Amino acid sequence: MATFPQLKTGAVAQYPVVRRGEFRNQTVRFMDGTDQRYRDSAAPRQSWQVSLSGLDETELAAIEEFFLANQGSFGSFAFTDPWDGHVYDDCSLAADGLSAAVVAEMRGATQLTVVRNR
Amino acid sequence: MTNLVYPQLETGALSQFPLRKTRRTRTVTNRAADGSTIKLADPAGVITEWNLAYSDLSDQEAATLRMFFEAAEGSLNSFTFLDPSGNLLAWSDRLNNEVWQRDPALTLTGDVADPRGRTQAWRLANTGTAIQTVAQTIAAPGACQYCLTAYLRAGVPATLRLWAGDDSVSADVTPVWNRLMLTSSNQSDVTSMRFGIEVAALATVEIYGIQVEAQPGSSGYKATSRGGVYEGAHLRDDALAIIRTGVNRNSCTVNIIHVNHL
Repeated sequence: MATFPQLKTGAVAQYPVVRRGEFRNQTVRFMDGTDQRYRDSAAPRQSWQVSLSGLDETELAAIEEFFLANQGSFGSFAFTDPWDGHVYDDCSLAADGLSAAVVAEMRGATQLTVVRNR
Repeated sequence: MTNLVYPQLETGALSQFPLRKTRRTRTVTNRAADGSTIKLADPAGVITEWNLAYSDLSDQEAATLRMFFEAAEGSLNSFTFLDPSGNLLAWSDRLNNEVWQRDPALTLTGDVADPRGRTQAWRLANTGTAIQTVAQTIAAPGACQYCLTAYLRAGVPATLRLWAGDDSVSADVTPVWNRLMLTSSNQSDVTSMRFGIEVAALATVEIYGIQVEAQPGSSGYKATSRGGVYEGAHLRDDALAIIRTGVNRNSCTVNIIHVNHL
């Protein structure tokens, strides 16, 4: 099982990191104004927005290689939730694009969103 | 038509800071109502784009870019682009990959402790009585300047030789990790370059982070799979605007695109 790359400090993310939960509920509205709601998914969809800056060349290259090895959003990997350290075994990148900026030596930056598959 | 190569600046660098690189893959995704997905990858659909912003270019450098733009006829003709933020060697952490040419008496041992505290280094033992080499040949033009670097150590001090095309340098390897470097000279008559490390007879060395960059100096090590030589790259745009900001000072932005399936 592939693993989301760690920075040289051992961390997987930097501040700020956004953790998002999303339910997919459906609502049927009746003519009298009442409604009936039901779940349309087994669990909330979790995602993490990881923004990285101040990366050195080795760290940025590792992120880029990870993106290519996963073929963007196709591959699956284990991701450690930076909030509580829980390891989620089946996660993917949310997008098929990765943009990396290098503003100076050892000052690379990029951003990824990781989603938990189900 | 001759093979076009994206030019280096007078300093030997290919670009300036800031540099932006964007990778795009293509995944066909069928998303069900409950949020679950079925995915199909398209390995041939990888697109890489570079945004190179130049400032304070000399008139000569601006003219070189202008001549290159005219030779490429904007986005029409393809050229070889050497990733300025990449390691030109492929599989730099996998010396057992077939892209590496290894002489027969050289034995490889992987998972050796590296200077970054992991186990990505390799032990090279020359069991023969002659010099043995591990090398990689890449489709990089000799007209550019290259910097070959590698971290090396040896339990018993040894001497080895770094090779970059026709250039070489001999170096002493000690029990402490050291990053050795060789900057190549212009070898304009060749269309591919061979980079390697020559191990003396009966010597054993440990190696990590072998890297080639298209510039005279080294930057931090970047582990690779595909390597940073992009043949068949194109200028993204049909226009190139060069702004003269002062005497012998010019600026411009160049966008380059490489698409696997083109």
